[in-house]
Amino acid sequence: MKIAVCVKQVPDSWVEKKMDGQVIDRLGVDAVLNDLDEYAIEEALRIVEANSPTGSAGSESGHEISLICMGPERATEALRKGLSMGADNAILISDPSLAGSDSLATSLVLAKVIASGNFDLVMCGTESTDARMSVIPAMLAERLGWAQLTHVHKLDIDVSKSYAQGVRSTEIGIENISADFPVVVSVPDKINVPRYPTFKGIMGSKKKPLIIKTLDEIGFAAETVGMLAPWTAVNDVIPRPPKSKGIKIVDTGNGGNELVAFLEEQRVI
Amino acid sequence: MYFQDRYLSNEQILMRDTCRKYVDEVVAPWIREDRSREWSMDPQARLAPHILEKADEIGLRYLGVPEEFGGIPLDADTLSQTFAVISTELSRGDSGLADKLVQNWKISVLLGVLAPEHLKKKWFAAYMADPQFLMAHCLTEPRGASDRWLPYNVPEASMETKAVLEGDEWVINGRKQFISNGYDAKLYIVYANTDSTQGTMQGTSSFLVPRETPGLTVTRCNETIGGRFMNNGEIVFENVRLPADHLLAHNDALGKAGIYFQPGKIMVAAKNLGIGIAAYEDTVRFVHERVQGGRVLIKHQAVASRIADMATRLEAVSALLRHAATAVDEGSPDAAILATMVKVFASDEILKVCQNAMELHGGYGAMVEVGIEKYFRDAAVCLHSDGTTDVSNFKIVKSMFPATAGTYAGPE
Repeated sequence: MKIAVCVKQVPDSWVEKKMDGQVIDRLGVDAVLNDLDEYAIEEALRIVEANSPTGSAGSESGHEISLICMGPERATEALRKGLSMGADNAILISDPSLAGSDSLATSLVLAKVIASGNFDLVMCGTESTDARMSVIPAMLAERLGWAQLTHVHKLDIDVSKSYAQGVRSTEIGIENISADFPVVVSVPDKINVPRYPTFKGIMGSKKKPLIIKTLDEIGFAAETVGMLAPWTAVNDVIPRPPKSKGIKIVDTGNGGNELVAFLEEQRVI
Repeated sequence: MYFQDRYLSNEQILMRDTCRKYVDEVVAPWIREDRSREWSMDPQARLAPHILEKADEIGLRYLGVPEEFGGIPLDADTLSQTFAVISTELSRGDSGLADKLVQNWKISVLLGVLAPEHLKKKWFAAYMADPQFLMAHCLTEPRGASDRWLPYNVPEASMETKAVLEGDEWVINGRKQFISNGYDAKLYIVYANTDSTQGTMQGTSSFLVPRETPGLTVTRCNETIGGRFMNNGEIVFENVRLPADHLLAHNDALGKAGIYFQPGKIMVAAKNLGIGIAAYEDTVRFVHERVQGGRVLIKHQAVASRIADMATRLEAVSALLRHAATAVDEGSPDAAILATMVKVFASDEILKVCQNAMELHGGYGAMVEVGIEKYFRDAAVCLHSDGTTDVSNFKIVKSMFPATAGTYAGPE
């Protein structure tokens, strides 16, 4: 089985985001592997471990996990983290023409790489913590003509039947969804607890293949992506309004009811 | 709240993050859960086994063990810097735990270089198989340790522990004191005088001594003010007989242990920094929550000034630490001086950081169950460990001005 995990390097999720014109300032903050992608990597590792004769991932498992990323060269740092966790190899598509690409362009490039890789399964985090569009998994599936199991918080893979079964929670209830391979799966943070890289994994990741390719090398025309060919445009950016003071409920005998009324009004309950 | 990642390689950041998670998820919650644990008078009951088992799982115990024995090779050209990053992060959780592991790493490196192949095979296999396996480096004696660093090298100053070759066996007699991991180690590297006509540098040999060797007695666990999760011990050697192949270095053991000493001081400073960072982090949290006079503490000028002072001291220690660790990795001529400087500087500065942390917490700062006083105690241990401040300062001056500086001490 060949699994591709799509990953992204994002500005540190815990740091206040700043804008550089109409795009997020990525240079002034530490860059990290997108938190939700760690769950996708972890799930891929668990799938392989469950179907490996040795019980572990790696070359002896008979399966392969490839990380696929689009981004500047600095994104190799995020890929090294994924390799340290246990993925087998990584490919980074890096090209100056890709700067400023929107999700439509990103999905086009990622789909191109995936289509040439003979993958059975593509794993994604549900969203990146910078743009938070949550559309790449669905776009990938459409571009590839594959099935999609998005937002699944439980995933069962039957390798012998090339079959994936997932569970997702929606506003209307619990959905059981399934599909034959090849399939694109996206996972939220409910699905597992990602491992952290061991020291052996960190040092071993330096020996794992990490290939950087330009658009030209994957057979892609630069004019079709990035700032040169935007599919969408950001017209305006408005900073988040400052936190309001909130409402203080003083309990003078009816505090409980007032609190419930407030929560109802906010549609929390 | 955290300091910037400047100067760290990608691997070092990943290692730091792995240590941070281990500390935040395994070590710190366990310590917070019951602060009376470090005061148990049964030394072996203090640290729960799962703490070292988890360290084993993420590979923290294997650093320094040669790759052919299952260890994890770190980049040699940044070794001290990496050890500094890891030690700081571990010590953020507990300085005694960091000490336990630091001893293991340093001795693993030393054994990898000095031990004969069959003994490496035997002992690294035993070490790798048991997460609770600790090792100890027996140098210090009850009469003193720091004086070995003083600029004299005469027979009168040599070690009182002696080793004599009888037939094909070495026989060791003597006493070692203030030995890190000494109380519970399973394997010791012991330094003993083997040539009474020479000074310490030319007359000291080192030996590999398994704990079970007849004649070796662990006489006590030294109950200390801080770093209490590392069991410091006293060990007596009475006619301890060792096969000849257990000799690691003959007469020039202190020269051969050079790979241990400079990184050792770097790691003492790094552990010290970790204590300071933990004290700072807890204090920053507290001054943002605690309200006095109608506003949170951070809004009071006197408090803000102390927070700035703490952060500045931490940055200064961190900068000198990186500078010294880089010098050690580069084998620079000033490496020994810088390693000693940062050890001394860190001990002084971090104690002040911890003092500020205690004072900003008011009465809570002195309460055992709050944990701020622990940082102060742990930092206090660093004042003397691996050389007292005064002896270290003698050494710095003597190294800088060898022709004009005095001998300061030594045989009258």
